[in-house]
Amino acid sequence: MQIFLVFFLWSSVFSDPTRVVFGYNKEKILTYVFGILILKAIVLSARTVDVAGEISRGDLTNFLLKPVSYFKYWFSRDISSKALNLGFAAIETLILFIILKPPFFIQTDPSALLAFATSLVIAVVLFFALLFLVNIVAFWMPENGWAAQFLFVVIITEFLSGGVFPLDIFPAAFQKVLYFLPFPYLLFFPLQVYLGKIAGTQAWGGIMISAFWALVLLLCLNLVWNKGIRRYAAEGR
Amino acid sequence: MDKAIIVDHLVRNYEVTEKKPGLSGAIEGIISPKKKQVRALRGISFNIQPGELVGFIGPNGAGKTTTLKILSGLLFPTAGFTQVLGFDPWDRKPEFLKQISLVMGQKNQLWWDLPAIETLELNRAIYEIPKREYEESLEELSTLLNVKKLLNIQVRRLSLGQRMRLELIAALIHRPKVLFLDEPTIGLDLIAQQKMRDFIYEYNKRYQASILLTSHNMNDLIDLARRVIVIDEGRILFDGALEELVSRFAKEKIIKVSLTHEDDIKRIEQIGKVKKIAFPEVVLSVPREAVAVAAAELLQNFPVADLTIEEIPIEDVIRKVFRGEMSRKKH
Repeated sequence: MQIFLVFFLWSSVFSDPTRVVFGYNKEKILTYVFGILILKAIVLSARTVDVAGEISRGDLTNFLLKPVSYFKYWFSRDISSKALNLGFAAIETLILFIILKPPFFIQTDPSALLAFATSLVIAVVLFFALLFLVNIVAFWMPENGWAAQFLFVVIITEFLSGGVFPLDIFPAAFQKVLYFLPFPYLLFFPLQVYLGKIAGTQAWGGIMISAFWALVLLLCLNLVWNKGIRRYAAEGR
Repeated sequence: MDKAIIVDHLVRNYEVTEKKPGLSGAIEGIISPKKKQVRALRGISFNIQPGELVGFIGPNGAGKTTTLKILSGLLFPTAGFTQVLGFDPWDRKPEFLKQISLVMGQKNQLWWDLPAIETLELNRAIYEIPKREYEESLEELSTLLNVKKLLNIQVRRLSLGQRMRLELIAALIHRPKVLFLDEPTIGLDLIAQQKMRDFIYEYNKRYQASILLTSHNMNDLIDLARRVIVIDEGRILFDGALEELVSRFAKEKIIKVSLTHEDDIKRIEQIGKVKKIAFPEVVLSVPREAVAVAAAELLQNFPVADLTIEEIPIEDVIRKVFRGEMSRKKH
């Protein structure tokens, strides 16, 4: 439903095909809308939201008792869920494509595609680390207080990552700050790379920043996890 | 390695925050949280040999489960030393985890919506059990516990007793050398309890596994444990053979007398506490140190046909342990 709304909104904004707003023409903005749909299915779909529940319910116990890495376990669950979601998103997009027949931009430059693929992999790791970090707050606040907090973070994340509208609508100064944060690298940046709006050294520079963030967040995750696990009391009902 | 489990001066504290009832209590809790240290374990020490089956008893909240959780690497100890099979449990090394198992009566690992066999297959992969060994263990365990027909049924469709037996298979499929059992018979009916006990006994013998078992079920302890450790308020009160528990904690002995004809009960009451009178039987409870004197007095002053002196039944002693009467006497 939302996709129709967004589609018609942008269609009317760009009713004149030669019109260019914020560097987008009709073809590119529609590619953006559809691209975000697919990227969300890949990057933002994660099973890791259940981690907090497992901690507060004490189900984590079952995993701690076994010779299995809890992170790897969730990461592989994440990947399988993404594969499933991607399947559905592909069908959804195909149907919308047939109904709406939007002009679609297909990237053919192999170097751009390589940069896109790299940024996508980093985005997946970034979101995994981010969401996991938010979830293990449950070690300190196990009483489901995390739910509201989690919602807040997800909304902020979706907003700042370009999931709602393209980030280049923001003032330039704000954008500059934003690019030093991990959020744009989740959705907006990979898509810009795909669209060819960010290319070459600029693209690889961004990839470096996002890789740096992924590393920092993973280290944080490890640190916070090790602190949290000491507080874990393995309660059960 | 000569000892399976070493526990030395183990301490564990919990931090709890208290909250007064209602909204004002909640606000107060945010502004100035009242934190309290609960001392679950106050320095306990014991060792367990390979192949030994030890009962761990005490009233609720004594620290039994806390100890088991520390020994299986779930809880971080506040202080003290623990070693299981030569490993520090907290490191949770794969080689360590592959050799232990913790079974908690009220905790389950079976996937609720899938048949148990799926969880078992998953465990096979996690524990990296060779296919043949897995088939063997599964065959053996499911025969012992009589659950072969239940393996392919969705777990949610099973009764508690059936589920508990399958939980046990899931916990033992990797043939752990050290087994921690927390209330393994909780919620089971009498027949299921007996089956569980037989199984634990059999497993202990067959694999020479070290087993540390907590239970509030007296029969579990009497049937299974030669050695018991009594714990209360985070301290060990007794560690030794089950029979010794009686001589150690029973401050009284029982004198049973048969009288040839009825006598004045008031006079008998002066000798000891009368527990039961069903003429001609009279049952008296007498302080341990006074038992010889009391018996002599009875024989002299009453028409006694028969007299026996007995220990208090072990059940009564254990019951006292569960009620926490052991430590309260010492205070």
